Amino acid sequence: MDTFGVFKVSASALEAQKKRMNVIASNMANANSTRTEEGGPYKRKDVVFSSVLMEQAPVELEGVEVVDIAADNTPGKTIYDPGHPDADENGFVQMPNVNIVEEMTNMMMALRAYEASVSAFNISKTMFMKTLELTRQ
Amino acid sequence: MDSFKTLEQLIHFTGMRHGVLTSNIANADTPNYKAKDMNFTQALDAELDLKTTGPGHIGNSVEGSQGQISAEASASWEDGNNVEVDMEVAKMTENAMLFQTAVSLLETKIRMFKTALRR
Repeated sequence: MDTFGVFKVSASALEAQKKRMNVIASNMANANSTRTEEGGPYKRKDVVFSSVLMEQAPVELEGVEVVDIAADNTPGKTIYDPGHPDADENGFVQMPNVNIVEEMTNMMMALRAYEASVSAFNISKTMFMKTLELTRQ
Repeated sequence: MDSFKTLEQLIHFTGMRHGVLTSNIANADTPNYKAKDMNFTQALDAELDLKTTGPGHIGNSVEGSQGQISAEASASWEDGNNVEVDMEVAKMTENAMLFQTAVSLLETKIRMFKTALRR
């Protein structure tokens, strides 16, 4: 049994949500990137969360980790802009499949989850400090 | 001396439940994760072993089951996850209060013993 197991669980959640935040930030930054190293417009990325068993006894403590950063392959918008350097012979440009509203919503969800884990972390800390006060008796 | 044991059990159970609730909050966005909780009243009832000597007394209502952990049956979101973060934070606060109450009581108990020993 790890005395401070709960802190690791909260920390894993904070780390995972931060990674999600980073991915969302790159999606938003690349909302108009029509060129990438792989060729074609930017494809939005998504994190894949998975629970990971951190402690078996006395209770199962399950943390979370990012197991994959997957690309979303749905096609993006095609806009007509003949002056664009990446326009095809008909004047159409393939845009990334990033939807700013969707990214903002995801960002708010990540923020809420992050805040909840911070609260959990603080509550754990208060509980431990309270127990430590017993030694001052 | 019995209340020492009761308080110890209470601290033990609230500590374990805290771990379960922390896991729920950490996995608030994990697909197919199901929220878990500990059945706590049953465990405590079994531990308290209340004696009844009259018909109007309230004794142990439930038998056994030492703090069982069960998955919550509430409806899932589209991704198969059924964690409601607000609920979990509320439960965790309540649980932490109970934990702190038990520790405070233990503190008082120890102080009482020390006072008695000093006389």
